[in-house]
Amino acid sequence: MAAATAQSRKTAQVRRLLIQAVIVIAIMVIIWSTYTTAQTNLNALGITGGYAFLERATGWSYSFSLLPRSVDDTYLRTLTIGFINTLFLGSLCIVLSTVLGFVIGSIRDTSNLALQTIASAYVQLFRNLPLILQLVFWYAVFIHLPGPRQAHTLGDIAFFSNRGLMLPALNLSGEIALILLLGSILLGVIVLLVRISVARALVIWASGTAIAIAVCLLIFVPQGESIVSVPALKGLRFLGGMQMTIELVAMIVAIVLYSSAYIAEVVRGGLAEVPKGLIEAGQALGLSGRTIWSRIKLPMALRSIVPPLGNQWIFVMKATTIGVAIGFSDLFMIVSTSLTQTGQTLELIAILMGCFLLINFALAQLVDLINRRMQLKAH
Amino acid sequence: MLKTIGKFAVAALAASVPVLAGAADPSPTTQKIIDRGTLLCTGHNGSFFGFVEVNDRNEWKGLDIDMCRGLATAILGDPDKAQIVPLSWAQRFPALQSGDVDLIIKATTWTMGRDTELGLQFSIPYFLGAAQFMAHADLGVTEAAELDGGTICVEAGTTIERIAGDFLSSNNIEHTMVSYEKGAELRAAYLAKRCDAFAGWGPNLAVIRATEVDDSEAHVILSDQLSTDPISAAMRQGDEEFVDLVNYLIAALIKAEELGITSENVDEIAANPPSTTVARLLGADPGIGERLGLRDSWAREVIAEIGNFGQMYDRNLGKDSPYKLDRGLNALWKDGGVLYTPIID
Repeated sequence: MAAATAQSRKTAQVRRLLIQAVIVIAIMVIIWSTYTTAQTNLNALGITGGYAFLERATGWSYSFSLLPRSVDDTYLRTLTIGFINTLFLGSLCIVLSTVLGFVIGSIRDTSNLALQTIASAYVQLFRNLPLILQLVFWYAVFIHLPGPRQAHTLGDIAFFSNRGLMLPALNLSGEIALILLLGSILLGVIVLLVRISVARALVIWASGTAIAIAVCLLIFVPQGESIVSVPALKGLRFLGGMQMTIELVAMIVAIVLYSSAYIAEVVRGGLAEVPKGLIEAGQALGLSGRTIWSRIKLPMALRSIVPPLGNQWIFVMKATTIGVAIGFSDLFMIVSTSLTQTGQTLELIAILMGCFLLINFALAQLVDLINRRMQLKAH
Repeated sequence: MLKTIGKFAVAALAASVPVLAGAADPSPTTQKIIDRGTLLCTGHNGSFFGFVEVNDRNEWKGLDIDMCRGLATAILGDPDKAQIVPLSWAQRFPALQSGDVDLIIKATTWTMGRDTELGLQFSIPYFLGAAQFMAHADLGVTEAAELDGGTICVEAGTTIERIAGDFLSSNNIEHTMVSYEKGAELRAAYLAKRCDAFAGWGPNLAVIRATEVDDSEAHVILSDQLSTDPISAAMRQGDEEFVDLVNYLIAALIKAEELGITSENVDEIAANPPSTTVARLLGADPGIGERLGLRDSWAREVIAEIGNFGQMYDRNLGKDSPYKLDRGLNALWKDGGVLYTPIID
């Protein structure tokens, strides 16, 4: 009897393995035949494939880059800049829309009717209009601002014109600022990995970042120059300071407004899921409303907020691809322009897909990490 | 993105087309057009004024559209059998390669890269355009060197983008370039003064200045000519006979102007040809059709439908159009321009 059961279990196992093997082989055959057919037909059409074009100079320029750029850059450097732009815009929008989303979502959860109405109007307005429409709208508004010579100014140190937002900044080059930013993100992830309390992690992260900035200022600011660079009008444009082009500003505004409306709903849902009993227990202990919110509601809610929040973050990264509608040079726009200039469609699409898979896979891992960190130990 | 991949999948599935047909047989592409009963031409996603535009009755018009209608007349005998497929600048090459259109007639510049790596072949040029800058007059600039430090807007993925980049960097003019996917967005950004200047194709700039701005005095077209772009029809590699057909369509249109044949007098002249050249062109003497696998009367029918090159130009860009563009380089060789044709013997 036992032998027969073992026998049939073995057969079932063999059958399962066979089915899986067949599926794997079928997938490989499909991929292989797609590849060879594409190869044959591209050859027949006389299209030169391969990645040799990456070493060639592009001969064109674009609106925004954190690193120095020129028309003599290779496609590789140009695509890298596009990748960095997407990463930069995406991260900035994720941080801003998460903060704003938490604020709006928490307001929707309060008992103040006026605030609640405003918050829900915000959510309905920005969530229900297509993102691209909002982007085009904001861009149309911003480019009708006065020109650089008649820019709105705040004490002659910050300017807002139809060229962009010019802010005073630390006197560091784009490369160093970028390295600092990446270092700060890395430190944040490491701090998250180490099991210490959130408050302590925040202190370590903030002080570490501040020390790194101070060290860079000491080393890289040339003798005799001020550590703060203030933008000033010179000829047709502003020089100095931090220059956020109007395309970048429009992208941030549109994506943050849209995405924060979604995050607000996620946050509201998370807060609503906290068992009533816990809150009543807090009240019974005589805790203040604020303590109940920060010590009971938010920590409990975060556990159900984080997974959908991660989805939203991945969405924000992908949403940067609408830059093409207003001429913001994100990765998609750079790929799309490279595509017409070189005709290397398949290679460039592969690069685009690879980059987005990389970004969003890493982001998913990060969300998973946060999620595990949030888990209650007893659960 | 998916769409592009899909198109490539279609291209990948399509069997490679056998080449080399007999002299009198229609070429593979021509045969496909005859079997389908329509000619698939490139349109535009919106209007590219003067060349590919949509009028207020939702009909396509323009120099390129007329060229396409001419080709439809030559092959199928009916200009209305030209079917216009709206495509963006970026979509046109993948669309041609995957067979979504039969050829590209869409203000497309003949470049070495496109000719070799993209697997295209080009017809003889039918138009010459130079890239230029248009700037806001209140900046007080008259030449490109004065744009130093300015913001220049261009249309993404076009040759203008590269020509302008090359010109500005080789003349050490520091600049920020902002590129847009669509002409309408580019114009809106320029008019809102997002950019100091706008690099575009001379004819295009003149069209915009003539029709789209409230005060044409407020804009100057800078004197620097950055290039001269030969505008040609682009076709897939491997069908030389189809290229011949398009070349001789262009040649016939220019030749007709040279010989004074118009859409009004073509039938009259064909009935009583003054010379053998005219008789051959209009099919009164046989030969012009057979070599291309077409009817001998194709050129006559084309001229009757869309006129000669001069008429096409005047109607779409020149004195009978809203744009009033000078013929300039695009006049016949004997009128001070550069247009000429191969000998039609």
